[in-house]
Amino acid sequence: MPIRFEKVSHVYSDGSPFTYAALKEIDLEIAEGKLTAIIGATGSGKSTLVQHLNALLLPSNGKVEVLDRIISSDEKPTKLKSLRKDVGLVFQFPEYQLFEETILKDVAFGPKNFEFTEEEANAKAKKALAMVNIDPSYYEKSPLDLSGGQKRRVAIAGILAMDPKIIVLDEPTAGLDPQGAKAMMELFKELNTKYGKTIIIVSHDMEHVFNYCDDVVVLEHGSVRCHLSVDQFFKDSKWCEELHIIPPFVIQAKQMLKAKGIEIMADVKTVDDLAYEIAKKVKN
Amino acid sequence: MGSFTLGKYLPLNSCIHKLDPRAKIIAMLIVLIAIFLPAGWLGYGLIALCVVSLIFLAKLSLKFVLKAMKPMMFMMVFLLVVNIFVIKTGFVIVSLGSFAIYSDAFIQTLYIVVRLVLMIMITTALTATTKPLDLTLGIEDLLKPFARFKVPSHEIAMLISIALRFIPDLIEETQRIMKAQTSRGVDLKEGKLKEKIMAILSLIVPLFVSAFQRAEDLANAMEARGYAPGAARTRYKVLKMERNDYILLAASGALVIALIILSIL
Ligand SMILES: Nc1ncnc2c1ncn2[C@@H]1O[C@H](COP(=O)(O)OP(=O)(O)OP(=O)(O)O)[C@@H](O)[C@H]1O
Ligand SMILES: [Mg+2]
Repeated sequence: MPIRFEKVSHVYSDGSPFTYAALKEIDLEIAEGKLTAIIGATGSGKSTLVQHLNALLLPSNGKVEVLDRIISSDEKPTKLKSLRKDVGLVFQFPEYQLFEETILKDVAFGPKNFEFTEEEANAKAKKALAMVNIDPSYYEKSPLDLSGGQKRRVAIAGILAMDPKIIVLDEPTAGLDPQGAKAMMELFKELNTKYGKTIIIVSHDMEHVFNYCDDVVVLEHGSVRCHLSVDQFFKDSKWCEELHIIPPFVIQAKQMLKAKGIEIMADVKTVDDLAYEIAKKVKN
Repeated sequence: MGSFTLGKYLPLNSCIHKLDPRAKIIAMLIVLIAIFLPAGWLGYGLIALCVVSLIFLAKLSLKFVLKAMKPMMFMMVFLLVVNIFVIKTGFVIVSLGSFAIYSDAFIQTLYIVVRLVLMIMITTALTATTKPLDLTLGIEDLLKPFARFKVPSHEIAMLISIALRFIPDLIEETQRIMKAQTSRGVDLKEGKLKEKIMAILSLIVPLFVSAFQRAEDLANAMEARGYAPGAARTRYKVLKMERNDYILLAASGALVIALIILSIL
């Protein structure tokens, strides 16, 4: 079943001089089994929105439906733990959450909190570490001795090890090198297609949104500006123009070609495909 | 932790906000001295009146100031319990067999509580109306005369301003790590002792790591911009005492004199 936001508002520090309405009556339905991107300018409420998914933040008004559960402002916190196993949330710069002596222990920390035995937790941790490409030779090292990118991968493994049904990632590739970021996005795509996980990614990178995501939700000043499939979103150049987004390279190339009188209708994603389409066009 | 108001600056627009930080610091110190004079209930009433009108002038809500007391609640209750067992003077209020509660236990506790409450109120009135940076500027200036006795006034001020500067960051960081670990199934409120220790550890270790990281980054950034502790620096903001500042000083001086007279009488 889909994730549903109904008239969800969130007000920070209500009743103090610092009060701020970060979300305003959000109505949103995120499809199950898809890879959805959430984009928007900084401060538009993306992080606030995703923290409602595992009830780290409760709506000030309205309700969120996730996996048969309803999260509203009067939710009892005791019932939330099992929700957090099913909705894994990876924060912006998750490397700051590492604390155990060894990498394996740190990744097994999550499953252990959710009542898995030591062996089960370790098995899950090893599987998750393999997914993020951390070699077994690292298992007994301290997570603090890793490079930034490796730390990030270990931290993400810490959430994957809980085997959540829904995985939410807040800017997972921020600050990674292009190669690392690409590998990361490919991992999420694989989790989505191979393991059927519903994945929600907050991102600023249009190339990633274009190449890996199915749907896109645009937030603006705490409201949903639009919610479209990625193909529709980029097909119509008005969205990128209105939102001041620089479109992905392939789309830019297509637009330039169109201006020169070569219109390519097919939905191409990669430079190779584009080249192929151009060649086809030129031959005809 | 959003309700944590002790030491928080509130950006309002009042005549108290505009006062010179030096005047405010001195006035606060004077009032603190007044609070410790044994002037009896009348004296406390007088101080309370002054402090409350100050808070009123600063446009602070009493609720905000009272919220700052929350962390002290536990201490006050603890004090009362200790006093109930220790103080055996005054008249008996309740007696349960060989154990009796005396009136002085309450009166003594009340004395201390009133002092504490007044102290918190006056310090909150200072910190809520003065930007941390102005506060340290004020401290630096007030410490300058002691440079003769090798008191490193600039370094002390820099230390304080850096510490103050990082309090909100650390609170934010703590909240962030707490949320991240909660997402991994940590329950800070419930669970067995062992789980609780683990939960606290999962919070403290990352907090320390990032605090050290920040400290190092800051030190490097300061050095890269040519900061040297002893070197002469110009100031962006120059403090200047005005009429209202002198009025504040005079008023607090008058208060302490009144209290001294009350305690002698
Ligand atoms: N704890 C808080 N207290 C008060 N206001 C907050 C708090 N957290 C966020 N805000 C405010 O809410 C708004 C939305 O914040 P949010 O973190 O959701 O933005 P974002 O879209 O994730 O931005 P970014 O792309 O920079 O991460 C911001 O204007 C921010 O200042
Ligand atoms: Mg964010």
